[in-house]
Amino acid sequence: MFKEFFLKELGSGLRRPMVYIFLFIMTLMVWGAVVSDNVVIGGSIGNVYKNAPHIISMYCGILTIFGLLIATAFFNNAALRDYNYNFSEILFSTPINKFGYYFGRFFGALILSTIPLLGIFIGFLLGAAMGPAIGWIDADRIGDFYLASFINNYFLFIVPNMFFAGAITFAMANKWKSTVISFVGTLIIIVGYLISGTLLSDIDNETIAALTDTFGIRAYALDSKYFTPIEKNTLSVGFNGLLFLNRIIWLAIGTVIILGSYFSFSFISKNKRVKKNKEKANDVQIGKILVAPQITILFKSSTIFKQFLSFFSINFYSIVKSTTFKILFLFSVIILIATLAGGFEYFGLQSYPVTYKMIDVIGGITVIFVIIILIFFSGELIWRDRGSNMNEVIDATPHSSFTSLVAKTISLICVTSLLNLFFIIASIFYQFINGYNNFEVGVYLQDFLYNALPMYIIWSAILIFLQVIINNKYIGYFVSIILLFLFDIIMLIFDLQSNMINLGATPSYTYSDMNGFGAALEATNWFNLYWILFGLLFLGFSGLIWVRGFSNGFKNRIKSAKKHLTPTYAVGLLIISVLWLATASFVFYNTKILNTYKGTDELEEGQAKYEKAYKKFQDIEQPKITTAKYYIDIFPEERKLITKTALILTNKSKQNIDSLHYTIDKDWNMKLHIKNAKLVFEDKESGYLIYQLNKTLAPNEKMAIVVEASYISKGFENEVTNTDVAQNGTFINNFSILPSIGYNEAYELSDKNTRKKYNLKPKDRMPELKVDCGKDCNKNYLSNGSADWVDVESFISTTKDQLAIAPGSLVKEWEKDGRKYYHYKSDHASQNFFNFMSARYEVARKKWNGIDIEVYYDKAHPYNIDMMLSAVEKSLKYYTKNFGPYYHQQARILEFPRYSTFAQAFPGTMPYSESFGFIVNLEDEADNNVIDAVIAHEMAHQWWAHQEVSANVQGATMLTESFSEYSSLMVMKNSLKDDIKMKDFLKYDFERYLKGRSSEVEKELPLYQVENQMHIHYGKGSVILYALQDYIGEEKVNNALKSFLDEFRYKEPPYPTSLDFLKHLDTQVPDSLKYLITDWFKEITLYDYRLKEATYKTLANGKYEVSMDVEAYKLKADTIGNETKVKFDDWVDIGVYSDNDEKKLVFQKRVKFNATEMNFTFEVDSIPAKAAIDPRRMLIERVITDNVKKVTKI
Amino acid sequence: MATLKICNLSKTYPNGVKALDNINIEISNGMFGLLGPNGAGKSSLMRTLATLQEADSGTASLDDIDILKNPTELRKLLGYLPQEFGVYPKITAQQLLDHIAILKGITNGNERKELVNYLLQKVNLYNERSKSVKGFSGGMKQRVGIAQALIGNPKLIIVDEPTAGLDPGERNRFHNLLADVSEDVIIILSTHIVEDVTELCSNMAIMNLGKMVYQGSPQNVINDLKGKVWQKIIERNEINEYKTNFTVISDKMVAGKPLIHVLSETNPDNGFESVIPDLEDVFFTKIN
Repeated sequence: MFKEFFLKELGSGLRRPMVYIFLFIMTLMVWGAVVSDNVVIGGSIGNVYKNAPHIISMYCGILTIFGLLIATAFFNNAALRDYNYNFSEILFSTPINKFGYYFGRFFGALILSTIPLLGIFIGFLLGAAMGPAIGWIDADRIGDFYLASFINNYFLFIVPNMFFAGAITFAMANKWKSTVISFVGTLIIIVGYLISGTLLSDIDNETIAALTDTFGIRAYALDSKYFTPIEKNTLSVGFNGLLFLNRIIWLAIGTVIILGSYFSFSFISKNKRVKKNKEKANDVQIGKILVAPQITILFKSSTIFKQFLSFFSINFYSIVKSTTFKILFLFSVIILIATLAGGFEYFGLQSYPVTYKMIDVIGGITVIFVIIILIFFSGELIWRDRGSNMNEVIDATPHSSFTSLVAKTISLICVTSLLNLFFIIASIFYQFINGYNNFEVGVYLQDFLYNALPMYIIWSAILIFLQVIINNKYIGYFVSIILLFLFDIIMLIFDLQSNMINLGATPSYTYSDMNGFGAALEATNWFNLYWILFGLLFLGFSGLIWVRGFSNGFKNRIKSAKKHLTPTYAVGLLIISVLWLATASFVFYNTKILNTYKGTDELEEGQAKYEKAYKKFQDIEQPKITTAKYYIDIFPEERKLITKTALILTNKSKQNIDSLHYTIDKDWNMKLHIKNAKLVFEDKESGYLIYQLNKTLAPNEKMAIVVEASYISKGFENEVTNTDVAQNGTFINNFSILPSIGYNEAYELSDKNTRKKYNLKPKDRMPELKVDCGKDCNKNYLSNGSADWVDVESFISTTKDQLAIAPGSLVKEWEKDGRKYYHYKSDHASQNFFNFMSARYEVARKKWNGIDIEVYYDKAHPYNIDMMLSAVEKSLKYYTKNFGPYYHQQARILEFPRYSTFAQAFPGTMPYSESFGFIVNLEDEADNNVIDAVIAHEMAHQWWAHQEVSANVQGATMLTESFSEYSSLMVMKNSLKDDIKMKDFLKYDFERYLKGRSSEVEKELPLYQVENQMHIHYGKGSVILYALQDYIGEEKVNNALKSFLDEFRYKEPPYPTSLDFLKHLDTQVPDSLKYLITDWFKEITLYDYRLKEATYKTLANGKYEVSMDVEAYKLKADTIGNETKVKFDDWVDIGVYSDNDEKKLVFQKRVKFNATEMNFTFEVDSIPAKAAIDPRRMLIERVITDNVKKVTKI
Repeated sequence: MATLKICNLSKTYPNGVKALDNINIEISNGMFGLLGPNGAGKSSLMRTLATLQEADSGTASLDDIDILKNPTELRKLLGYLPQEFGVYPKITAQQLLDHIAILKGITNGNERKELVNYLLQKVNLYNERSKSVKGFSGGMKQRVGIAQALIGNPKLIIVDEPTAGLDPGERNRFHNLLADVSEDVIIILSTHIVEDVTELCSNMAIMNLGKMVYQGSPQNVINDLKGKVWQKIIERNEINEYKTNFTVISDKMVAGKPLIHVLSETNPDNGFESVIPDLEDVFFTKIN
C-alpha cells in the first residue's frame, strides 16, 4: 500500500511541469553564479575555487531556504489534493491503510521536493564546464569535483532540510487543510532561522546558534570557520562535527512532528465546528420601520470622498483582521524582541540605544515584512471582490474605479505605515526601559517620512498596477517578487548605478547625531518625489485598465479604458505626467549633468588605462615635500571647502630633476602654480600632468609650488560621494587636497582576477622584504615617497558656531567678517599626514605633565568623555616611561560623523568615529575596555608611525599596527592585572586572526612579512607580541622596542623594516626561547593540543596530586593553508582551575612539550576543578575547547 | 413610467460562442421574466444591462440613458443581484449594506442607517444584522443580495437566477418581496425555473442560443398551445420510437415510467390524452 501511494505521488509530481520549472530555475541560478564574476555568494574569492566543496556546501545550505517554498508547494499539495478535489470522502470509504496512505504521500513529496535542488549540482557541473569554455571566467578559478561533496551535501543539507520543512508543512496541511496556513508554517521556519541568527552577535553563543539553526547553515559555518583556502577547496562536508549533531537534532524533531501528525490523522472527517449561537433570545426589535425611509441620493465630490472612505475602511480592516497579517505582525514583533534582547553589543560592551541605532533596527526588520505585506495584500485587495464573488455587485454601483484603486493603495500604505509607527513606539519604549531618555521623536518621524513612507507609497502603487495589468493573481505575485528582488541584480550585472532607473530606489542616507540626515536628504527627497509621481502615474493607468465587470481580453480592456478616459481624467494624467517629467529632468540635471558618477566597470577601466600609460614613470626621481603651509577655508553650510597649500619641495635625490609629474584629482578641482615651469603634458581624464622645469633642480636644491584645491557641492548627487565635507563634522586629510607626486601606485587594480580581465599581470601587494632593501627603503608606507619629515603650519577657518582643528599647537585664534580663524603649528617635524576638521564641538580638557589632553565631542554624546581623558593619560604614562618622550604639546580626540567607523592617528590628533567610542555604555565598566584600548592604540601610534615609520615593504605594518596593538594591550594589562580578563579580551584578536586567514584572498604571510593584512597585523600581531612578553618578560620586549625606536626616531631614510626590529629583539631573547622568533614571526605556526585525561588524588600531606594526559601536535602552514606536522620541543603552560567557570587559575607551570603523548603530574594546594593546557591562551590553536577538562578524582 | 429599450444587441465571445444574437426588446415597468436553458445567453444579457460587459454592437437604453456609452449614469439607477452573489468574509450584513449604500450615493449617515435597518427588516434579517454574512445560509445570503439590490430607489432591478437553491418557503418570501416593489420599477428576472415566471411575471421572453425565441405575456403563449399538447405514459424502451414518430416536447419520469408530452395539432390517439398546456410546455416547445 505504501508503495502504491509513494509511486503515485512521485509519478503525478513528475508528470506535472512544476518540478522541472523549479529544477531549471535552481540550475540557472547556480550556473549564473558560477560563470559570472560579478556574483559572489558563499565567498568564492581569491584562492577559493568557484566550485570548491566548501562553496557547494554553502550553496546547498543557503538555497535550501529558497527550497522551502518548493517543499511547501509539494507537501501541501500531497496533503490536500484529495481533500481539495472532494475526493477524500470517496477515498476514505475504501479499504486503504492509513500508514501507506499517509507516509506514501509524505515520502513521495519528500523525494519530489529534493529533485529541484539537484539543480545546484547540475549548475555547478555545467558552470564549471562552460564558464571557462565561453571565456567568462578563467580555467584556474575552477577546481576538482569530489563525488563525496555531492552525496554528502544531498544527505546533510537537502534531504534533512526538506524533511523538516515537509514534516511541518505536511502536518499543518493535514490539520488545518489550508494552503495559507501551510505557508505560515514555512514562515515559522524562516523566522526561527532568523531568530537563532541573532544569537550569533556574541561569539560565546556561537554553538547554540549553530545547533538551533534549522537549516544547518550556521553549524556548517562554525565547523568551517577557520578553514584555510586549501581546506575550502578540498574538504567535502562530512558526517561529523556540529553540523552532524545539528542534523540529528532536527531530523529527530521532524520525526516527532510527523509521527504526532500521523497518529492524530484520521480518515473520519471531523464535523466542522459550529459556532454557538450567542444571540440573545429576546432581541427586541425597536421601532420596526414599515415604510421605506426617505433618502436623498447625491453625487458630488463629497460623495466620492465618502465612497473612498468606505472602500478604504473595508479594505483596511480586511487586511488588519486577516490571519496572514496577524501572523506577520506577530513574527515581526518576535524578531524585534529577539533583536533587541541582544542589545547593541560591541566587544562585550553595550552601546546606548541611540536613535539611529533604533532606526537601523526598525528599517532592517520592517523592510522584509513590508515587502511581504505589500506583495501579498496588493494581490489580495485587487482580487478580493472577485475572490468573494462581490465583484458584480460592487462593479455595478456608481463609483469611479479610480476611487476604489486609490482606496486600496492607501489602505496598503496605511497598514505598512502603522506597522512602522508601531515599531517606532516600541523603540522609544525600549529606550525608556533601558534608561536612555533622549527621545528624539522628531528624528524617528523624519526618518519615517523620508525613507519609509515614500517607499510604501511607491511600491503600493506599482504592485497594484502590476496586479491590475497582469490580471492573474499568481503571475502577479511572481512578477512582483522578480521586480523587487531581481532588479538590483540586473542593475549589478549591467553595471548601472542610476537611482532613476532602479524602480523605487533613492539615495541612501545615514543618520548621524552630529550631522543629522546630511547631504543626502535633499537628493533623497527629490528622488522620493520623482518616484511618487511615477507611482501616481501608474495608479492612473491602473484606473484605466482596471477590469470592471467582465471586460476580459486585451481588446475589451482597451475599449473600456477609452471609456474611462474622461476629459478630467485625461487632464489629471497629463498634469501628473508633466510634473513627473519636470522632476525627472531636474533630477537628471542634478545627478547626471551638474554631478557625474562612474560605474564600477568604467572606474576599473580608468585604473587599468592609468597603469598602462604611466607605470613607466613609477621610479623617476621627484623632489619631496619638506615644508607645507595649508590655508583652508571651510564653509559647512554650503558644504564648500577651499584650500591653498604652499609647498617647499627639495630634491633629495642625487640627480638633477628636469620635470615634475603629478596626478591630480578632478573632484577637488586642483590647480597647480609652479613658477619657471610649463605644462608639457596633460591627461584630462586621468589627471596626469607633466611640467617641464625651465631650469633643472639640482640635488638638495629647493623650489616652491602652490596647490589650489576645492570641494564645491553642486545641487544633489545620485549618491553622496563626499561625506568628508559635512554641515557639522567635516573631516578631511591632506591627501585629498594635494596631488599625488609622480605615478600613484595606489590607483592600480589589485585583485588578480580583475587585473587579468584588463590584461594586467598579477601584482605584488608590496615590495619584497630584503635585508638590503635599497631604494624601496627610501619610501615609507604613509607618504609613499612624497615626503619624509615635514614642518607644517595650518591656517584654517570656519563659521562662527564651529571649531576648526588641525594638528599642532594653536598659535593664534581670531575672528574676521563673522568667521573664525585658527593658526596651528606643529611642534615637531612630522609625517605629512594631517587632518582638518570643523564641527560644533564641546571641549573637555585635562593636563598631564604639561601636555594638553583634549576631547572634542558632540553635545549629544557626553557619556564617556572623562574615561577618554583618563585613557589618554594612562597611555601617555606608560608610553613615555617605556618607549620615550612624547613630542607634541597636546593629545586630542575628535569626534566625527559615523560615515566611517574607525579611529585614526594624526600627529597629536586623533579623530574617533561617533558610532562606537562615544555611545558605548561604560557606566558599569570599572575595567579597561575596548574604548580605552582603541584610544591607547591611537596614542601608541604617536610613537609607532609618527616617531618611527616603516619602509614601504613587506612587514611594514608590523612596526606600526602590531606595536600599537601591543602597547595598548600593555596599558590594559597593567591597569587590569588579571590574566583571565586579558584572555577574555584577547579572544577577539584570536578570532580576528583565525577567521581572517580563512578568507585570505591572496596568500597568508608570516607576521614579519605582513602585507597590510589586518587580520595579521592586528590579530596575530597582538596575540604574538602579548605571548612574547609573557615568555621573555614585558621589560625585555619594551627594551627591544625602545632601542629600535631610539635608532630610527625621526630619522631620514632609509626607513626601518621588520628585520631591523628583529635585530633589536634578538638581543633580548634568551637562547632557550630563540625558536619563538622563527615560529611566531618568521613562519606560520599553529598548535594542536588536547587534554585527554585529567585526574587527581589526595595526598597524605593534604595536597592534591594532579595528573594530565596530553596529546600534542605542532603544525606549520604554507601561504594557502597546507599544513605539515613538525617535530617540537616547546615551552607550554599547563594549569589548574579551582572553579568550573575557569576564572580562578590556582596553579600554573611552564613545561616542555616534546612528544605527541605526554603525561604531567604535579601537586596543588586546593581541590582542582578543571585542568587545562595553555590556560591563559598564549598559543595559536584553532580548537581550544578540548584543552580543558574536569579533573576526576581517583 | 420607465422604458428599457434594447436594439440589435450582439455579443460573440472570443471562443466563437454567440452569446447575444441581435436582441431586440422593449420593457416597461413591472416584472419581466427571462426564461432560457443554461447557456442561452441570459446572463450575458443581464451583465450587459448591468454595465458589466461590453457588447459588440447594438444599443441599450433606459429612458434617455445610453447604457453602453454612459454606464455611470445607469449605475445610479440600477439594482443588481448577480447569479453568484458572495460576500466579504468577516463583515456583517449591516456593514455590507452600509458600504453599498454609500457607493450608491446615500451620503447622509442617518438616512443610510434607517434605510439599512428598514431593508434588513424587510428581508427578515434584522435579528442577524450584526452577524458575519459569511455564515449565512444560501437563502439568507440571497436575501442580503436582494436587500442590496433595493438600495437607492433603483429604476431598473436585474435579478439573475435568484431562486436557485432556495427552499420553497424562502422562494415564496422572495417572490413577495419582488412583487412589493415591482409596481414602479422595471424588474428583470432571469431564470430557468418556469414557475418563477408563471407566478410573478406579466411579461416574459424566452432565450435560446443567444436569440429571443419568444416575447410576450405568459398567458398569450400558453393560449397558443391550447389543445395541442398531449401526454402518455410509456415503457422505457419505447422512448426512442416515440421520439422518431412524434414531436416530443418533454419526457419526465412518473412513478418509474416515462411520461411524455407531444405537440400535435390533432389527437395522435395511441393512448395519448389531452392536457392543459403550462409554461413548461411552452418553454420546451420554444427551445427544442
